[in-house]
Amino acid sequence: MNADNDRPPLFKSWKQWYVFVIAFLVLLIILFNFFTKYFS
Amino acid sequence: MNLLDWIVLILTLAGIIAYGLYKSRTTHNLDGYFLSNRSMSWGLILLSIMGTQASAITFLSAPGQAYTDGMRFVQYYFGLPIAAIVVCIVFVPIFSKLKVYTAYEYLETRFDVKTRTLTSFLFLLQRGLSTGISVFAPSLILSSLLGWNLYWTNLFMGGLLIIYTVSGGAKAVAYTQQLQLIIIFVGMFLAAYLVVNMLPKGIGFFEALHISGKLGKLNVITTGIKNGKFNWSDQYNLLSGIIGGLFLSLSYFGADQSQVGRYLTGSSIKESRLGLLMNGIVKVPMQFLILLVGALVFTFYQFNNAPIFFNKSQISKVESSSLRDSFYVAQAQYYVITKEKQKTVAQFAQALNDDNKARVNLKASQLQFLQLQSDSLRGKVKKWVKSAGGDGNDTNYIFLRFVVDYLPAGLVGLLIAIIFLASWGSIAASLNSLSSCTMVDFHRRFSKKPITSEKEYQWSKWYTLAWGAFCIIVAMFTYNIGNSLIEAVNVLGSLFYGVILGVFLVAFFFKNIKNGFIVFLAALITEALVLTIFALIKLNYFQLGFLWLNPIGAFGVILFSLIFNWMPNNKRKQIVLKGGAN
Repeated sequence: MNADNDRPPLFKSWKQWYVFVIAFLVLLIILFNFFTKYFS
Repeated sequence: MNLLDWIVLILTLAGIIAYGLYKSRTTHNLDGYFLSNRSMSWGLILLSIMGTQASAITFLSAPGQAYTDGMRFVQYYFGLPIAAIVVCIVFVPIFSKLKVYTAYEYLETRFDVKTRTLTSFLFLLQRGLSTGISVFAPSLILSSLLGWNLYWTNLFMGGLLIIYTVSGGAKAVAYTQQLQLIIIFVGMFLAAYLVVNMLPKGIGFFEALHISGKLGKLNVITTGIKNGKFNWSDQYNLLSGIIGGLFLSLSYFGADQSQVGRYLTGSSIKESRLGLLMNGIVKVPMQFLILLVGALVFTFYQFNNAPIFFNKSQISKVESSSLRDSFYVAQAQYYVITKEKQKTVAQFAQALNDDNKARVNLKASQLQFLQLQSDSLRGKVKKWVKSAGGDGNDTNYIFLRFVVDYLPAGLVGLLIAIIFLASWGSIAASLNSLSSCTMVDFHRRFSKKPITSEKEYQWSKWYTLAWGAFCIIVAMFTYNIGNSLIEAVNVLGSLFYGVILGVFLVAFFFKNIKNGFIVFLAALITEALVLTIFALIKLNYFQLGFLWLNPIGAFGVILFSLIFNWMPNNKRKQIVLKGGAN
C-alpha cells in the first residue's frame, strides 16, 4: 500500500469523513424511527 | 423448476466460473495470490467486503426474519459504521505500515509468536467450521425445497467455486464478487417489484407497508425495554445493535482475516479506508431493503394462503408422529383464520383508501387479533415439528418458498442462482483467508527451510484446495449432527471473535503491556470464560443474547491482561517463568 497517497476525496480530512459516516448513521436511525412509528 | 429455470441457473453459474478463471491471471507470489499485488481501487474493495459479508443466509434468512419477527434485525448492523471508523483510524495504518499478509502477523511484532499463533489458530478453527456450515445451510434449504440430493448440493455449493478460487486467489475472488453482487441486486429488485405487482388491485406499495406495519413487521427501531426494564436476552434492539454489533463488527473487520484480506488488497491507505467507510454507509440501507422484501412478502401472504409451516419436508415428520391429528386440527383452524384475515385486510385497505381513520383503526385491531391467533397456531406447529425430531425453525424457507411457488419461470432459476452466488462470494473469500493464514502464520513461520516465491505460491494453492475440501467435509458431517445449525454461524463467530478482538485492543491501546505471555494467558482464560458462559446459557442457567459474548470476550482479555500486568513484579515473574515467555 502506498501510505503517501492518503488524502481523502470530497472532504478536507479523514476526520470529516468519519463525522459524515456517523451523521449518516444517526440520520438513518431517526428516519427508521419515524418509519416505525408512522406505519405502526 | 422447469427447463428455463435450469438454463438460467446453469448459465449464470458457468458464467461466473468462466469469469473467475478469466480474471485468474496473477503474479506467482504471495503478494499476487493473497493481496492482488495491493492494487485494488476502493470500489472493488467495497464490493469485495460486501460480497464476503453477505452469504446466502443473508438473502434467505433476512426476508424470513422480517416475515416472522419484523424488520428489527436491521439494528444488528448499527455498530458496523462505527466499527468501520475505528478500523480506519487504528487498524488500517498499522497493517499498511507493516505490510502484513495477515492481521495476526502484527501480533508477533507487538507481543510474541505464541500470541500470533493462538489468535491465528482461533481464527482458523472458527472460520473453517463456520465456512463448512455456510456450505451446508443453503444446501439444506435448497435440497429440502427442491428435493435435490443434499450431498450433491453440498458438493456443488462448496466445490465449483474452488476452481477459480484456487487458480486466481484474491483477484479472482474480488472480480467474481463484483459480478455476483450485481446479479444478486438485480434479482432481489425484480423479486421485490413482483411481490408488489402481484398484490390485489388497489393495493400499492404504501398500502402494503401500512398492512405489514399495523401487524408489527415494520418495527425497525425497538428499545428492548419491557415493563420498564431492559431485556438482556432480547437479540435485536437499538442498544444491543450499537454496542454488541460494534464489537462484533470490530472483531470481524479488524481481526478476521476473511475481511482484513479484502482491504489489504487496496493500492493505498486511502483506497482501503474508502472501501471500509463506503461499506459503513451502504450496509445498513442495503440490509433495510432486503428486510423490506420480507415485509412485502408478509403483506402478499395476507391476501394469499400462507402455509402454516414453510418447510414442507419437516411437516411429514409431524404427520408420521402421534401429533398428526392435533396438526390437522391446527391446520384447519389456521386456514379459517387465514380466510378471515383476507376478508379483514381487504376491508382495511378499503378504509385506508377512503381515508376513514376510525374504520382503519377498527380493522387494524381486528387484524392484530387474528395475527396473534395465527402466530399462536404457527408456534404450536413449530413445537410439534421440533418434538417430532425435526427443525422447528422455518424462517430460512419463507422467502425461497414464495419464490418457488409464485415467481415466473426463469426468475426462479435466477433466484436459485443468487443463493449459489451469495454463498460462493463469502466462501471464496473465506478459503482465500484460511489459506493465507495457514501459509503465512504457520507454514512460512515455522518452516526451517527457506522456499522460493513460486513454491510458496504453489503451496498456497494446495492449501486453498485443502480448506475447500475440509469445508465440504464439515458440510457433509453437519447433516449427521442436526438440522438447526444455521444460526450456529453467527453464534460460532461470537464465541471466538471477542477474544481475538481483545488481543488486538490490548496491542493497540495498552502500550505499557509488553509481555506476550500475559496477553496469551489472558486470551486463554477469557476464551474458557466465554465458552463457560455459553454453556450456562445453553443449559438455561441464565439468558443472554449471543451478541453480548463479543464485548465479554474483548473486555475479558483487556481486564485479565491489566490484572496480570499490575501484579507485583515477583508474582508476574513466576507466571512468566512458568509460561516460558520470550
